[in-house]
Amino acid sequence: MLTSRKPYDAGKLSAVLLFLPPALLLFTVFVVMPIGEAAWYSGFNWNGFGTPKNWIGWDNYRFVFDNKAFGTAFKNNLLIIVVSLLVQLPLALSLALILARAFKGAVMLRMLFFMPYILAEIATGLIFSFVYDGEFGLLAAIYRHFDAQAPHLLASPDTSMLAILLVIVWKYFGFHMMLFIAALQGMDKNLVEAARVDGASRWQILRHIIIPLLRPTIKLSVFFAIIGSLQLFDLIMPLTRGGPADSSHTMVSFLYNFGVMRMRVGFGSAVGVILFVICVTFAFSYKRWFMRDE
Amino acid sequence: MNSEQDFSETGLDWAAFLKALYLLGVVLFVATPLVATVLGGFKSLGELRTNPFGLPQVWEWKNYADIVLSRRYWQLLQNSLIISSLTVILTLITASMAAFVFAHISFFGRNMLLNYITMGLLFPAATAILPLFIKVRDLGLLDHYLGVILPQVAFSLAMSILLLRRFFKELPEELLEAALVDGCSYLNFFRYVTLPLSRPILATVGTITFVHSWNAYLVPLVMLNSDSQYPWPMGIMIYQGEFSAEWHLILAFITLTLLPTIILFLFAQKHIVAGLTSGAVKG
Amino acid sequence: MTVFRRLLSSAVGLACLAGTAWADTTLKWLHIEVNPNQVKIWEEVARDFEAKNPGVKIEMQFLENEAYKAKAPTLLQSKDRPHIIYSWAGGVLKAQVEAGVLEDITAQVTPYKDQLSAAAVKAFTVDGKIYGLPHTVSQVGFMYNKELFAKAGVDGAKVTTWDDLLDAVKKFKAANVTPIVVGGADKWPLHFYWTHLAVRLGGKAGFDAALKGENGGFEGDVFQKSGEHFKQLVDLQPFQQGFLGYKNPQAVGAFGDGKGAMILAISSFYHTQRALAADKAGLSDDKIGWFNFPTVAGGKGEASDTLGGVNGWLVTKGAPKEAAEFVKFFISDAVQKRLAQGNFLIPTFKGAEAGLGSPFMRNIAQNIAGSKYHQNFYDQDLGPSVGRVVNDATAELAGGTMTPKQAAKAIQDAFKQGN
Repeated sequence: MLTSRKPYDAGKLSAVLLFLPPALLLFTVFVVMPIGEAAWYSGFNWNGFGTPKNWIGWDNYRFVFDNKAFGTAFKNNLLIIVVSLLVQLPLALSLALILARAFKGAVMLRMLFFMPYILAEIATGLIFSFVYDGEFGLLAAIYRHFDAQAPHLLASPDTSMLAILLVIVWKYFGFHMMLFIAALQGMDKNLVEAARVDGASRWQILRHIIIPLLRPTIKLSVFFAIIGSLQLFDLIMPLTRGGPADSSHTMVSFLYNFGVMRMRVGFGSAVGVILFVICVTFAFSYKRWFMRDE
Repeated sequence: MNSEQDFSETGLDWAAFLKALYLLGVVLFVATPLVATVLGGFKSLGELRTNPFGLPQVWEWKNYADIVLSRRYWQLLQNSLIISSLTVILTLITASMAAFVFAHISFFGRNMLLNYITMGLLFPAATAILPLFIKVRDLGLLDHYLGVILPQVAFSLAMSILLLRRFFKELPEELLEAALVDGCSYLNFFRYVTLPLSRPILATVGTITFVHSWNAYLVPLVMLNSDSQYPWPMGIMIYQGEFSAEWHLILAFITLTLLPTIILFLFAQKHIVAGLTSGAVKG
Repeated sequence: MTVFRRLLSSAVGLACLAGTAWADTTLKWLHIEVNPNQVKIWEEVARDFEAKNPGVKIEMQFLENEAYKAKAPTLLQSKDRPHIIYSWAGGVLKAQVEAGVLEDITAQVTPYKDQLSAAAVKAFTVDGKIYGLPHTVSQVGFMYNKELFAKAGVDGAKVTTWDDLLDAVKKFKAANVTPIVVGGADKWPLHFYWTHLAVRLGGKAGFDAALKGENGGFEGDVFQKSGEHFKQLVDLQPFQQGFLGYKNPQAVGAFGDGKGAMILAISSFYHTQRALAADKAGLSDDKIGWFNFPTVAGGKGEASDTLGGVNGWLVTKGAPKEAAEFVKFFISDAVQKRLAQGNFLIPTFKGAEAGLGSPFMRNIAQNIAGSKYHQNFYDQDLGPSVGRVVNDATAELAGGTMTPKQAAKAIQDAFKQGN
């Protein structure tokens, strides 16, 4: 053993030195360093040209928290999570329960429901800005059919977010459904069978056997809903750009609008740092508190 | 589970009927916007206003033909294809090499480095978009495909390495032991044994990366500045800005730009579904 | 096979040759013009310049107005930035100069610039250095549809005070006519109301004082009152349904379609409404009227004061010498006269306004010439980030989600934060 180890120790070293650096370098330069730099830049009032000089300490963070639109964006992110839990998840789960079985057309329906998930957010947003268009849109046509004037959902601060939430459900429920289908198909069928033989009703089987077995998948689905909400941006741009009156921003679209578009590097970096802290805190605590058993 | 059993019991016809109704409702919910988009591209603006749902009374092939024959459309697809393909290739190369080391070679600090990479799963590229922009600018890569590709590769590394590492670890360890004793180098083992055996996972990782890159908007939006380099999501937004209310043209353009995604989906649905869901599950 | 290979290689060779031969200098010119009729003339001007300057090629790039404003800050930092870009001058220009992304072209344009309107050139001068040249000026005012005015029994010529305007709106509401269309999604069309009210209420002195932070800055009396007046109008619900979802081109198109009685317009919309109308014809000359922004009781501004734009072309840092030459060519007598004759714009070349084809545009030119205080658009004048906040705040006023007091405070806060 000892004799044979030596030659491949040298090989080992060169393999490590050859294989690791490209990934580590890319990751460090484009993922890790920017986050560190965001923390540094967030202390400056800087328009991005030259080097940052005007140190203003914590002021950018104060500006962010003072900004009404940021509060709205934060609330919107929470709202998306709530809707994901209360609407999207039951929808996905119920469809998975139906479509996990092999019957004629099941696969086709699965594919159809999954399809919105792979379409680009930008295209989806544009399609729905057509659906909601007050003049040419599908919604307008339905209203016209009843001789009523269609509401411009995207044009009112009261309804813009509602309209976006519907698109979110449309686009993402298929993904969650697939997660559940995969879990259901990998499930031990004997348990269900045994329960049925024992005379359990379908509801009891669902309530006491299937749902508990699905718990890890449900947790995962919730996890993705939350992560998805925290990075939602592409969908907002074609639909409302965060408007009207900044009513439909998410934190990322807020960052883009108030940081990137205005080249307020310090301010935008502060938003980025806040978002980073939220993401990391969430990921760690979720793992710790909810996924401990996995 | 088999379905006959459910239907054999009494009174379940109702349940089946409700289920079918439910499914039909969801089908309409999902399909209507898509179908209306495709058909809308075949209508004139005037007809779109009066008849957005139905089949066109007059099929306006010109809407689609003009776009298909335009340079602009192909330029967008070409840009997207270049960016996405290079992103996939670079991701697969760098991630599989790193994953190989993480899976097979133990050395001091390996776990630390693995944890370091895993950090990349925790936050989206958007959080650091401004410093990322400054960095790409300072590297002189603004307005170059690479300015989009490199950040995209970097942000897809974490997930890719984890998926690949898991798969590599499941390859029999004895194989490597034996090969090394026979004087095969790590490099050759990786090249001639690991990679060929890992085709399924490479395809999966490649598909995830491709779909993400193909659909990406924020990074190209910030890094690219000229028509000649825009990928299609940016191009379609500009097209919409230009033709603001001419929905029939916009719908035709949307349909045509979605076409490659849908074709890819039909051909590679197994990889896409497996990739996007299992990738997510294991991540 | 060999024949085929030879063909292929020669084809590749040709392609390479073509790549190097077609131009020694390529000028990248970024514009935001949506009116195809005008763009056509611009293209001809570019081809003309190429013909007169062998070896120079001009590559036109287009970005929609909002997309351009959003992209400009990042765009300008690229080494491959366009050489000639569109500009509204003002604080945005100043910020770009400070950032060092523009080229000082003073020497190249020095004798030439004297042929242009001095005030307009001054807008493109920062600390005595010229970074670009203006090709047009514009005025903001109410463009109206004479037929709809007649239908509701309103005489456009008699709308001179703010109260007249409010009365008119009420009459349109009663007659079931949409009083005003506006592209609220783009926000800046709404900021015209608040800003022009401030021009009327505070005059030049009011604006200058705010810049110095006197009288409470933008939170002061003048600006709160502007908000309150604007709110009087908003409370009448004068805008088309869903106005916060309309982009400006859509709103201008709707006006051209005859869907609203008025639009608070930039004078150039006179022509754009035709191009953007559904029938591509829009409202004809005899159906269009114009009245200046109404005066406000107790306002310190003169009735002749105007709000409007000074638009032109900037040359970016490192651009070839030919860029400034092309800008000069673009703003030459002949081209300016041609555009004036087509009524596309109010020219800056002295004397070219005589060529204006329509009485409508001549009237605008006179208004601007007679104005002692021509205020540039706030969203440009106050610089990139403060200007955006003005737009945000006025859109919130229009949407009823901010009070006049809050709007003024938001703007002053942004002004104090600077950058």
